[in-house]
Amino acid sequence: MKKRLAAAGAILLMIGTHADAHRLDEYLQATTISLEKNHIQLQVRLAPGVAVVSSVLATINLDANGIISTARQQAYAERVIEDLSLEIDGQRVPLRIVSMNFPEIQKLDEGVGEIQLDLEADVPKGSTNRKLTFENRHQSSIAAYLVNCLVPRDPNIRVTAQNRNYTQSIYQLDYVQVDGWSLLLPGVLFSKLWPWVGTAALLGVVGILLARRRIRNIWTFTPL
Amino acid sequence: MFFILKRRNPIAKFYQWRRMTLPPRGDSSMSYLRIEKEDLHMNALLSKTARCIFTLVLVCVSARAPLAQTKATRIVNAANAFLSTLDQKQRQSVLFAYDDEKQRARWSNLPTTMVPRSGLTLRELNPAQRSAALALLSSVLSPKGFQKVQEIIEADELLKVDERSKAMFGKDLYYISILGTPSAKDPWMIQFGGHHLGLNVTIAGERGILTPTLTGAQPALYTINGKTIRPLGRESDKAIALLNALDESQQKQAVLSSRMADLVLGPGQDGKTIQPEGLKASAMTERQREMLLDVISEWAGIVQDSSATPRMAEIKADMKDTWFMWSGPTTVTPGSNITAYYRIQGPHLVIEYAPQQLGGNPALHVHTMYRDPTNDYGRRPAAK
Repeated sequence: MKKRLAAAGAILLMIGTHADAHRLDEYLQATTISLEKNHIQLQVRLAPGVAVVSSVLATINLDANGIISTARQQAYAERVIEDLSLEIDGQRVPLRIVSMNFPEIQKLDEGVGEIQLDLEADVPKGSTNRKLTFENRHQSSIAAYLVNCLVPRDPNIRVTAQNRNYTQSIYQLDYVQVDGWSLLLPGVLFSKLWPWVGTAALLGVVGILLARRRIRNIWTFTPL
Repeated sequence: MFFILKRRNPIAKFYQWRRMTLPPRGDSSMSYLRIEKEDLHMNALLSKTARCIFTLVLVCVSARAPLAQTKATRIVNAANAFLSTLDQKQRQSVLFAYDDEKQRARWSNLPTTMVPRSGLTLRELNPAQRSAALALLSSVLSPKGFQKVQEIIEADELLKVDERSKAMFGKDLYYISILGTPSAKDPWMIQFGGHHLGLNVTIAGERGILTPTLTGAQPALYTINGKTIRPLGRESDKAIALLNALDESQQKQAVLSSRMADLVLGPGQDGKTIQPEGLKASAMTERQREMLLDVISEWAGIVQDSSATPRMAEIKADMKDTWFMWSGPTTVTPGSNITAYYRIQGPHLVIEYAPQQLGGNPALHVHTMYRDPTNDYGRRPAAK
């Protein structure tokens, strides 16, 4: 660890105050959320700056030979997941690891390495209007959070609102998810005018029936 | 040009014949005598005014086509001139396959010692080779774009404060590479970049597609020979002017309360389209939309006019579906850069301007990103 701290110090000296080429004293944690019909995918990119990398590596708990073994990678990814929470319509949904990618330790030491975690969660059945809440508390004292939603590839899913707190540790996303057949009447379905449109349609049908009856009556009583 | 005329209209050929007093290649003067008779008949039908307009159109058409051809071939000639100055080993280093995905993605805001690039550095080139490389770059870029690139590089030179930083920064550490074979017909690519610069220009016929491209600067404000230079100053000034032109309710929609710590779609984030946020341009006045277009032109106009003009037309057509989002301080110190993040996003556009909260003053360290999510690296089929 001393060796690593010394290396970080040397790099900081080398970069100097005039040449802060990259993030130094923050742990950038950028999450992109991808909405799909039955599940949600999260990509979490974790990039510790050179000045904070030692505290990040301390939590990763390197092997004695200074490498991040698969077991350590898995343990760290699970630790990150413990600090994340994902709720759909107020119901917490568990996140599972799909894949993970850790850079070489040297890259992390230099403050240019990026850990990437691909996570996934199932979407519970619910109404058309959905609310997603994502929270990240991982290493909050040094974190710089970013959260964004990708434009859904599924045309049945439409994002309606995004809200975040100042630090972006909490992110709320409102979206509408409809079945395929509903696309036939998308404007009507998404509109608040639905009850009025329904009433108008009903009145229209009654009107047509009455009109037809009247026409039939006129035809029947036409004097010969 | 002759090929185009031959296919289009015998009268046009005749016009060319009269203008040059010689028949186009492959045709006999006899055929033009026949056309001249047709022309006489046509004269009877057309009024004098109509003929004037017709002639004017022909002049424009015949004048534009060779000009466009010249622009496309001028870049190819500049590329070939640069390649001809290189020895075999250098050519191997600078040339890549057009579909080399690894090389395409090898650009970053970080110094080349931290994220290695491939190709040839300016340091590896002798003065003649270096000047040919810069001539190639200048043939692709507009004068303003080329100046911007030079100012970004000049800023990096200022970071060389001691022996250690000399290894990491400076104008020698910018790489040039060519993907594919320079051609006026088939697509190929020029990459030029280093610290705070990643130009990816796909040349497809007459079009130069600049996306994805990263520009940045540190220091983003400096003085040389008493002249203050802000490589990304117009990007800052025009954006704050637009923000100030919005009314209170528009600003409320455009300005987000959350902190944007960095670029969202920076290096390594190819192929992603994030949900747009902020104020939609359809809710802007015509004047505000013009101002927004003017901000965008700072990126779209990095390439030469023949590429920038159709690109701006495309962006203008999408204008009502384009969003403007702001995060951070809404004021600026006069003569300095904004310290706020902003994003402009449309169906064919993503621009991010991200001051870096590193090294003290974020006005002095800026990263920007310019993308077309439908056409990064000229991937859109129509562009090829």
